[in-house]
Amino acid sequence: MKHRMPSSLTVIGVLGAVLLVLAAILSLAFGAVRFDVDVMFAALAGTATPEAVTIIRDLRAPRVVLAALVGAALAMSGGALQGTMRNPLAEPYLLGVSGGAAVGAVIVMALGASAPLWITGAAFLGAAIATVLVTLLAHLSGARGDTRVLIMAGVVVGAFANAVILVALADAPPDRIRGALWWMMGSAADATWGSVVRTAAALLVLGGAILWRARDLDVLALGTEPAAALGVDVDRVARQLFLIGSWLAAATVAAAGLIGFVGLVVPNIARALGARHHRGMLWVSALLGALLLVLADLLARTVRAPAELPLGAITALIGVPFFLMRLRRSTAS
Amino acid sequence: MFPHPRLARHILRLRLVGLTAVTVAVLAACTGSTADAPRPVNAAPSSVAGDTDDFGMPVPTDARYAARVVSLNPTTTELLFALGVDSLLVGRSRWDTFPRAAQRVPAVGDGIRPNVEAIVAVRPTLVLVYATPENRAAVEALARAGIRTMALRVDRLEQWHQMVQRLGIALGVEATAGLVRDSVQRTLDRVRAATASLTERPRVVWPVWDTPPMVIGAGSYLDELLTIAGATNVFHDRAEPSLTVSMEEIVRRAPDRVIVSAQQAAAFRTRPGWQALPAVREGRFVMENPDLTGRPSVTMGMAAVQLAKALHPQLADRLP
Repeated sequence: MKHRMPSSLTVIGVLGAVLLVLAAILSLAFGAVRFDVDVMFAALAGTATPEAVTIIRDLRAPRVVLAALVGAALAMSGGALQGTMRNPLAEPYLLGVSGGAAVGAVIVMALGASAPLWITGAAFLGAAIATVLVTLLAHLSGARGDTRVLIMAGVVVGAFANAVILVALADAPPDRIRGALWWMMGSAADATWGSVVRTAAALLVLGGAILWRARDLDVLALGTEPAAALGVDVDRVARQLFLIGSWLAAATVAAAGLIGFVGLVVPNIARALGARHHRGMLWVSALLGALLLVLADLLARTVRAPAELPLGAITALIGVPFFLMRLRRSTAS
Repeated sequence: MFPHPRLARHILRLRLVGLTAVTVAVLAACTGSTADAPRPVNAAPSSVAGDTDDFGMPVPTDARYAARVVSLNPTTTELLFALGVDSLLVGRSRWDTFPRAAQRVPAVGDGIRPNVEAIVAVRPTLVLVYATPENRAAVEALARAGIRTMALRVDRLEQWHQMVQRLGIALGVEATAGLVRDSVQRTLDRVRAATASLTERPRVVWPVWDTPPMVIGAGSYLDELLTIAGATNVFHDRAEPSLTVSMEEIVRRAPDRVIVSAQQAAAFRTRPGWQALPAVREGRFVMENPDLTGRPSVTMGMAAVQLAKALHPQLADRLP
């Protein structure tokens, strides 16, 4: 069976890519305003009515691309965090990393900054601090490898992050508070080509770095002692990859707010589909993560159009039952 | 909550859009923050070249963009009808339901964080939005689509006058705008004159939400209407248009009377928290009409008349 793995992964990859393209076409055609697929392609080419061109090219296209990038980044981040912690339940949202990024972003927003560079930078810093806090908490409890302790530490840090945000916003005018709360529920609604470029750059650099180090994740998966025996500085490698994964999650928070559970669900699906090594698993995860979030965003803006649902709520509705299922399996084993 | 939460929320929502744009009061509730302070108003009506809207964008100095208008704010939507240019309207927010005829204009979704796609689809030349930071992204997206916007915020009477004048110019009905302003102002002046001689001005509180208690502050046109109608708002020292306060603070300020709509009165009577307030326990309510007071609008003159009659029945024959 083993020699067939790569080819079945290739099939999954091709299938995923085809589905992603179909989902993107569907996403471009459907929304508050509905277009026939031929009108949609004409608008992309710039030959439809000016309104259709504006809606498809300037409003919908950046949104679809951003959703795909954020989905891919979250899935890869989840894959990396699960690899470094050797724990299939790790993911940036549950580990409080996204919450930390949100604290950084909301604090600079409360101070009046609106430049993307500031918000992204603050999100990175917040994610790094949360990462340190979570690992420190787990370490202090003396049970670093324990699933329950890690998730407990993450939930605690996430709750703390929430509290910090609410305190930071206590004196802000109500419309700014509502803006921050909306953003804490996740949304791709404010996508611009600028935010697409920034997220793409982060995915290229940080996601690329994770893929580059995928072999290290494979070695870590063997266990601490075998990895050390193979000459890998386990702690250092795990720390580096954890930070890179956290920063990738922070980049998504800066672009689209808090979106949970994508990083949990997708790598597990990729593994269930037969991805054994991290490089293949991360590629498949990126593809499926993009697919999942493009579809989730399509739901978010069509179910109750012209009103929108928060993207983070939709991913949580999908992710929480999945998490419970996975938790049962991991405690049973 | 009120016994008829849907209607109560709807009315409150309309009013809050006019005040601080709190579409979901629950969100404000869970943060427990105070409302924002009113921005200083230009005393002299400014409509010359160089004038800007509340997002700092230049406002139109003629009716060049008046062909197809989307209005996403109950206040501006109602005003377009009052100015007789409702035929220009090609879209409104789903909360803009006054006057009744506005409901025949297609709704394009919410007025805060509006759906830009739905707006672009009705091919507007001018979009009127409520000036809140949450609408900035939409305004920027509309600008990229080549659509002109005016972001306006009305909390106080003076801002309303300024808005009427700006829209009169932008929609090519400056003379009508002048008439509308004058007529409202004349009614308000007559009410003010009738209440000027009062020796006793009741101290009142005007709650706009019951849990947590949200009340009107000095930043709102409703505070101004109270003063004109011969009452004193116990929260007049607070600059916000509306603010979340503790029940203790309301009790401490000991208002003589509570301003409520007929529909709210029953709810306040039975609501345990509000029983702490003697004015509520003893049923000292002043009935207001949400149809008149719900938004800063052409009905403000009549709202002042109605409030003055409810507060001071003895003045009825001296009021318009």
